[in-house]
Amino acid sequence: MNKIETKAFIQEKFAEYYRLNSASIDPPSSLANREFAFLLFKERMMLRHKGVKNVEDLRTLLKTVVPSDVYYSSAHYEKPEEEMEAKEWLGADLVFDIDADHISTPCGKQHDTWTCNNCGATGRGTPPEKCPTCKGQKFDDKSWPCEICLESAKRETMKLIDVLTRDFSLSPQEMTVAFSGHRGYHVHVEGEVVQTLDQIARKEIVDYMVGIGLEPRFHGLEESRGPNLEEAGWRGRIAKGTYEFLLNTTAEQLEEMGLKKSVVNSLINQRDKILESWKSRGPWRMKGVGSESWKKIVQKAIENQSVKIDTVVTTDIHRLIRLTNTLHGKTGLKKIYVSASDIERFDPLKSALAFKEGTVKLAVFESPEFRLKDERYGPYENMEVELPTAAALFLLCKGAAHVKEEHRRV
Amino acid sequence: MSEQPRNDEIEILSFPIAVMMVSTTKDVFLKRRYALAEAKRAYNLLKQESKDKIIQIANTFNWKIKPAKLEITDFALHFTDFLRNTAGFHETKWKLVNRTMLNGEILLTKDETARLLAEEVRGHIEKKLETKIGLELPQGIANRVELLQQLFWSRKGKMRLEEMPKEIVLDAFPPCIRQLYNTILSGRHISHVGRFALTSFLINSGMTVDNVVDLFRSLSDFNERMTRYQAEHIAGGRGSRTKYIPPKCDTLRTHGVCPGMDEICRRIRHPLAYYRRKLRIMQTATETPTAQRT
Repeated sequence: MNKIETKAFIQEKFAEYYRLNSASIDPPSSLANREFAFLLFKERMMLRHKGVKNVEDLRTLLKTVVPSDVYYSSAHYEKPEEEMEAKEWLGADLVFDIDADHISTPCGKQHDTWTCNNCGATGRGTPPEKCPTCKGQKFDDKSWPCEICLESAKRETMKLIDVLTRDFSLSPQEMTVAFSGHRGYHVHVEGEVVQTLDQIARKEIVDYMVGIGLEPRFHGLEESRGPNLEEAGWRGRIAKGTYEFLLNTTAEQLEEMGLKKSVVNSLINQRDKILESWKSRGPWRMKGVGSESWKKIVQKAIENQSVKIDTVVTTDIHRLIRLTNTLHGKTGLKKIYVSASDIERFDPLKSALAFKEGTVKLAVFESPEFRLKDERYGPYENMEVELPTAAALFLLCKGAAHVKEEHRRV
Repeated sequence: MSEQPRNDEIEILSFPIAVMMVSTTKDVFLKRRYALAEAKRAYNLLKQESKDKIIQIANTFNWKIKPAKLEITDFALHFTDFLRNTAGFHETKWKLVNRTMLNGEILLTKDETARLLAEEVRGHIEKKLETKIGLELPQGIANRVELLQQLFWSRKGKMRLEEMPKEIVLDAFPPCIRQLYNTILSGRHISHVGRFALTSFLINSGMTVDNVVDLFRSLSDFNERMTRYQAEHIAGGRGSRTKYIPPKCDTLRTHGVCPGMDEICRRIRHPLAYYRRKLRIMQTATETPTAQRT
């Protein structure tokens, strides 16, 4: 099959999914006040400013349009079908997006590839500043959702849920957590409390999550004094971050931070004493570590505790968000709800699979090793393979393969 | 209020009359000054009030507030009420991230609470000043309004409106804009927020839409139609006809566009303010500033 037929094949599979699963599409709250948008397979065009009256209309639309991606507005509008200026904004959900793109992950993104636009040189990981071959500065890059990336995103999501529950006092009923179908998670907060927050207020919430503009002096860090582990908000988080950092750090890391040799020795040699000190007032008064050193350590603690959210998504009060239980055009996986209390045990590469039957014969150009359910696939390079539909669609959506033949039954 | 007014009748009646007079001027600046002055007065009176009375007054604005149990703080206020009333504050102690928050509440001292209540008063009065006055004012009051306007304009005339130079002065760019500009010149990708900040900055400092479009031409994903559309939109030539200005420093910091502050940055809160200030410094330093045309 050539490229166009591959696209038609993907679309046909998506059509099949919406035909069989449209009943699983739940409407967002205040359905009639939301704008819907559909990214079309044909010409990759975005069909925007669509209004939907009831859930049946929405399901029918998905079955007939068969979009590659489905979005709805986080905002509520009086007239969702009008142009932006005439929509009459009524309010918006508070939305958080956590994506592996915004997190430096331990895998170093070795599964991602880049191609120099100038000389065609390729490489792994995040694109370099300059092409090592021709010094060009423009690249095309391809990203993969690897397990380490997904795990990092999940850790950040858990941190976010913790801040929302403890600091902001939001109950699990007020927030929904979902796996995005690609490299991250979405957290929605609905309800009157947050609905009418303006962009400035949302920016302040973002800064709170990420720790931007945080000054430790407002959180109890003074000469020979600092916050305790059981304190509220960022006080407790700074203590916790400092605790974890001092427990795990190495002499090399401390030296890299510009700490004096004597300070480094004190911190490393007195680890037991530091651990013990948290039971009372913390290590802030310990001999040989001055306030300048503590400031540097606390910066590390803040980095450790900050939640790596996409800052633009939360401050945008007109944002389009992927609809839950629809397919992600880059993976063929579903965006699905995750229980906030059970997220630790959630496995996106098991739960988000949309296609469970049949196999497809593919010609794969290149793919790193990946896992779906309990099965590992790849790495592949210029070879023909027969894969279960979900794995095949994953590679096709990534643009890493062509279809050879489809077998509807196993 | 516990301060004993000399004459209740005058005190109570003077407020609606003052509001009526200011709102008749239809002057946005004057309205803002008046609301601010009333808020300042409210703050000075509020901070002397008892905790109970402060809670009573806060309740009239539907605040979710209660007395705090801790010794150094007096009140616990719901974060939404806090955020609504700190939007215009610039001191770092008012940033949400610099407050202790527990169970959705911010801990506040009595003085801080009075400050936030005064801000609520300011908003409340500004809203009052927006209401249209249907009837014609009696001659006596109308004359006074006119006098007020004249006095105001003679004062305001002293405030010099600053003018932008006709040519773009690259050397006066703030660090953030300079970095974005260099990134674009070398054909590298910048974030949406970065693009918006750069485009709106250049347009506001006098660059034409054509020149802005040319600047983006070296990008790998350059799309002339789209870039032009966006630049025109920012310049106020399309749709809503609003001319957009760049985001303020605080917002650029949130989105990771700020590369770190220099000396001038510490004195300003907006990239365009940096530009004006730097231009002034450059002009005083030398009579012929290095101007580069782009």
